[in-house]
Amino acid sequence: MAALSKEAMLNLAEKAVKVALQKGASEAEAFVYDGKATSVGIERGQITKTSRIVDRGVGIRVQVHSAIGFAYTNIVSDSAAVEDAAAKALAAARASKPDKDWKALPERKPYAAVTTMVDGEILALRSEDLVNLASRMLDAVAQADTRVFSVEGGAGAGYVSNAVANSNGVAAFDEGTVVECSLATLAKEGNTVTPICFEFNAERNLNVDPEWVGREAARLAVSALKTKRVETKTYNLVFSQFALQELLYYTLINAVKADSVERNQSPFKDKLGATVGSKCLTIVDDGLLAGGLRTGMFDAEGVPHQKTPVIEKGVLKNFLYDSYTANKQGRESTGNASRAGYLSTPSLEATNFRILSGDKSPEELLGEVDDGLMVSYLQGAHSSNPVSGEFSVVATPAWRIRKGEIEHASRGVMLAGNIFELLKNVSVVANNERKMGQLVAPWLLVENVKVIGK
Amino acid sequence: MKDLLTKTLHTAQDKFSAQYAEVRAQKLSKTMFTMKEGRVEAAKQGIENGVAIRVLVNGAWGFASVGSLDADVLVDAVSDACSMAKAASSRLKNPIKLAQAKPVEDHVEAQSKQKPSEISIEEKIKTASATTQVTLKWDKRIKSCTVDYLDLAGTSYFANSEGTYIEQDKLYVWTKATASAMQSGVFTFSREEIGSTAGYEVFDVETPEAVGERLAKRAVKQLAAKAPKGGVFPVVLGPNVVGVFVHEAFGHLAEADLALAGGVLVDNMGKKIASDLVTFYDDGTIGGAFGSFRYDDEGTPAQKTLLIKDGVVEGLMHNRETAHKFNAQPTGNARAEDFRVEPIIRMRNTYMAPRDHTFDELVEGVKHGYFFKSFRGGQANLDGTFQVGIQEAYEIVNGEIGEPIRNASLSGNTLETLLKVDAVGKDFQLNAGRCGKGQTAFIGDGGPHIRVSEVTVGGSA
Repeated sequence: MAALSKEAMLNLAEKAVKVALQKGASEAEAFVYDGKATSVGIERGQITKTSRIVDRGVGIRVQVHSAIGFAYTNIVSDSAAVEDAAAKALAAARASKPDKDWKALPERKPYAAVTTMVDGEILALRSEDLVNLASRMLDAVAQADTRVFSVEGGAGAGYVSNAVANSNGVAAFDEGTVVECSLATLAKEGNTVTPICFEFNAERNLNVDPEWVGREAARLAVSALKTKRVETKTYNLVFSQFALQELLYYTLINAVKADSVERNQSPFKDKLGATVGSKCLTIVDDGLLAGGLRTGMFDAEGVPHQKTPVIEKGVLKNFLYDSYTANKQGRESTGNASRAGYLSTPSLEATNFRILSGDKSPEELLGEVDDGLMVSYLQGAHSSNPVSGEFSVVATPAWRIRKGEIEHASRGVMLAGNIFELLKNVSVVANNERKMGQLVAPWLLVENVKVIGK
Repeated sequence: MKDLLTKTLHTAQDKFSAQYAEVRAQKLSKTMFTMKEGRVEAAKQGIENGVAIRVLVNGAWGFASVGSLDADVLVDAVSDACSMAKAASSRLKNPIKLAQAKPVEDHVEAQSKQKPSEISIEEKIKTASATTQVTLKWDKRIKSCTVDYLDLAGTSYFANSEGTYIEQDKLYVWTKATASAMQSGVFTFSREEIGSTAGYEVFDVETPEAVGERLAKRAVKQLAAKAPKGGVFPVVLGPNVVGVFVHEAFGHLAEADLALAGGVLVDNMGKKIASDLVTFYDDGTIGGAFGSFRYDDEGTPAQKTLLIKDGVVEGLMHNRETAHKFNAQPTGNARAEDFRVEPIIRMRNTYMAPRDHTFDELVEGVKHGYFFKSFRGGQANLDGTFQVGIQEAYEIVNGEIGEPIRNASLSGNTLETLLKVDAVGKDFQLNAGRCGKGQTAFIGDGGPHIRVSEVTVGGSA
């Protein structure tokens, strides 16, 4: 199925809004999603599978007497199905309860120009090209070290477009591409099998480096072969982006969402302007970041994306808002509404949550560690206490650092602490920024974290 | 429907000489909402119709998914899948083969007393409101309560090139309630999850009063709790924690695809890896349980699969591909979340079989340790390292349950830990949960209370 055109997407969205209003909605909004993803998959060292997924649909949100209803359908070629979805959204709203805090759907606002997020080269990729990308990655592993086994991974290319329209005049269309290579590896030597190590590279245009992914995934696995126990004490820890993404998603990112703050689910309530982190920590939420994996002109409600300062030199500056939370508190939305395609109503989410780089190279950062650990892959971050920020996780593996050099790996190392205390103990921010889902960050050096060795 | 699917299969076989082809169609409707402090964020209803096609060409898989039941679209999609599979097979050294399966024709109807589709959204919202009220009114230190609700009903249609054709009703009812409490700068958090394939009657047992009370009590109790000491301790685990341990720490290792991917079980088939007291099953046949179904998404009947018997590894969970590799029988564990994704090996209801101890006997044996009653989350690595975060726990001092502790976790190596199970209770409880492995699957897990002589406990004190 060929992708829907911009005109077809906008027409569909505007028609859905019109139908919902005709059926009695006081306000209506339609979100049309069209996505196509092609991938080839690696299993146990070889390319064994391919897949192409075409998914499109429309989600209709309506307001009747201040109660909200939502319905979606993935049958968009049939106008009766879209009408039926509008009717279901209305029925859901009528069954629901009025929300006294509901004000209105967002109004039309100008969008900032974003560098185009569509790359023709990605659109032109055939499955043979993806097989080639994946093969280059596997070859890089084979050349790097024969002890390394490629467990799973693959290469994929995607195109997503969406259109938002509402009864307040919003009518917007955006589209983008992404390409990704990923590989999970382990190394085997004698009876030793390392934990799974993982590397990936995702970009909005076709400049992924499959050889780098293969080499790095191999290097990490091999470096996990030599293990020794570490003793239980407090260490200075180097957090790679993998670890930060895991830890921050369930804690810090949650804590700066306006709804968490309002619902007493954030320790940052009443802390605007207060110091919540180390001086070297500056964080922005930037939905317009060039090349960002979450970059686009507008959010899931058609509100313009923007760059919102969150923490500046350790001081809490702003929370993130969608239009509901913003209206409720008499503020402007920061463009942080997000959706799972056409299947859901908007919810608050960070866009590109970016920890700004410092000026130390990763080597210089390691050089400042006399006796510490490097952590990348964490288990159990999702069981952190999202409200208090307390966590108790396992690093599998962690790498021991002595006098600035990585000495050996260690397994099953438990780290415990509080993410919000940890933010205050960041002593060095490196300059090796990379994108990882919504997080954009360099390595961080954090002092005095409790570690339980094994 | 049968004609449409069969026609699509013929295209794969006649035009592309596919060795194997299957078509899986779904017609589903869902009702969902999220309620925060009694406010419905948005009541939602959705329709999802679509088709997944999977073909085996030159030993490689091709998969295509489309949100359409249109015959022409399906012919395009199956052609896509076949030509992509051909491209993928170019570097294949070990072609994929499938274990033999007997063709089946069947029609499975949902047997529920209260179909969720026959209950109004108003009624569903009323039940969630009641849970919220019970929770918030329990104690003024409770600051928030969120209830997520989902029901899903419809039919899936499966046909393959070997003559199997199955129509199967799908029905799931699920809810998750969370609460947070606060007192002098201490935040606590509590969650409850309920799920059933029987019907809305699950709320006759899991009433708003019962769920709200458990949720609220736990959040409040933790306010006075202290942080645990980190280190190695004996622990008593509740059925809820045993379930997540069986699922996360052991179950994933017994999924044949992960076992092949370098997991530690491959070299331990038929060997004793656990204490004599350890018997594990993965069972898709328990009536009404959240992980139960009649046929999996490759058309294999669900069964009760023995994984460990008296400490010895007896079997793995298979799809047709891994069953062929291991020279075993498919166990009915191939599941796809929906038409957008391919079936992969997933657990159903995974549990530890009970033995003969009472709870008091388990606790009596511990001089200084912990009772981990309820989990917050868990995760495992293929090398057998696991972590389980705990939301409700108590000290055990001289054989008696003591003070509550919070934000504890336990960790260790699965195989080492299984050898240290030194007493198993005679009670039994099965919990509903969801498991993520790229796709979400509805599952069950559980067991009795058990005692483990040594695990690493993570804590900040």
